[in-house]
Amino acid sequence: MRNRGARKRVLRADQRLSPPFIIMEAHPSYRDISSLSTKYPRAAGTLFLAYNDIVYSQQWTDVEVLDLEPCSRAAIRGRRPNAERTLNVVPCALSELISLEWLENAFVSLANPPEVYLAITTEDSSIVYYKISRGIVKPPL
Amino acid sequence: MTTDSKPIPIRIANQRAYIWDVDDIAVLRSQHRLCGILAGTLPHLSQQNVFLGVPLLMMPEEVVLLVEKKFAVLVDDPNAHQVPTASQLKTWEEEREEFAKRHIVVNDTKINQNAASRSMSEDAMRKRKERMERKAAHPQQAALIDTSPEKSLLPGERAEVAPALDSRPTTPSSNITAAYPVIIPSASSTLEWYDTSATTYDTIEAAQAAGIWSYPSNLSERARCGVFRDLWEQGYFLGGGIKFGGDYLVYPGDPLRFHSHFVATVIDSPVSTLRPMEIVAHGRLGTATKKSHLLCGWNDENKDVSYLSIEWAGFG
Repeated sequence: MRNRGARKRVLRADQRLSPPFIIMEAHPSYRDISSLSTKYPRAAGTLFLAYNDIVYSQQWTDVEVLDLEPCSRAAIRGRRPNAERTLNVVPCALSELISLEWLENAFVSLANPPEVYLAITTEDSSIVYYKISRGIVKPPL
Repeated sequence: MTTDSKPIPIRIANQRAYIWDVDDIAVLRSQHRLCGILAGTLPHLSQQNVFLGVPLLMMPEEVVLLVEKKFAVLVDDPNAHQVPTASQLKTWEEEREEFAKRHIVVNDTKINQNAASRSMSEDAMRKRKERMERKAAHPQQAALIDTSPEKSLLPGERAEVAPALDSRPTTPSSNITAAYPVIIPSASSTLEWYDTSATTYDTIEAAQAAGIWSYPSNLSERARCGVFRDLWEQGYFLGGGIKFGGDYLVYPGDPLRFHSHFVATVIDSPVSTLRPMEIVAHGRLGTATKKSHLLCGWNDENKDVSYLSIEWAGFG
């Protein structure tokens, strides 16, 4: 229902002023993230970019979104191709301002994994992932 | 190198901390895992900065740590130099003169020996002979080069100046006329009028109250001291992080033997603003140089540090 409604709204002249929103709602993957996109509209854009990159470009499996309340956004959880471990991704726009407390809250809310992947997105849809680990973790050899 | 627990004197001048004794530098490095930066150079070659020596310039965080751990005391160096008494000055002057005389004697012996060996050399004799012959063949040229006083253009003037020079009062050190080197000792500790008993402080607070030392004076400096101390207590060596865009480089052992594993950035408080661009920049540089980047968050209420390590995810 929601998808069909969105497609109809594409045709309305007054909404052509904000094409990204229309395209986002019309996208097949939108239904997976729609409820948390509606709950956290300010993070909807970065979630959409990160989710699509993880599912289609990185080809992760068993991907799900979960509510990351203290950071006012959804987190993404899944497994890399041919990997056993479940990883946590927190989407974040390049223009946002965060803090150590914000990152700490994300760790706690995700049930204290050893590391969290921060997906940093920009307006041109480019995306970069950084692994953030708790404590002093030596670099890989 | 000594192993006793006598605190190392850190000389403070103009809010900067120096170590002047090489034995103290060795103790700091081998026993306390602190390196500092050698900052001393030659007065006449101050631009050469490849081989530096004493003094060792300490980072303020190192100083605070050393004093808090009772490994060192702060000495107000300018005020430790008191006005010398007449007899102290006299003794000092006599020692200097004695040194100069001894040096001249040694030098003269050397010159005589050299001259003796030179005059015996047949090669030198031949060269001298050739020189004389050349001079004889070109007498005009020889005359042009000759600028002896009696051929000067203004003989009268010279005659007037000379007595004026002679009539100058003699300075105390001018009894010795031959050239001799003047050695300026790098440490003041041997001077009789150098007395640190009234200018030594064994706590940071006392030194701050005396006005010779101010670090740490604000939240940012407290955060740096707290993070430095916490990493040091975990057994790491720390150096300046400017080359890798951080506050410190964190080494697993002596920096002369190990590469650093981490670049550390100090974050003043858990709520300090952090821009995602910083994570990208630090993380990428660290990964490219086989280091992890450490975000070191200081909590000024609990006086503790929490760490997050950043590296590139390896995908995306």
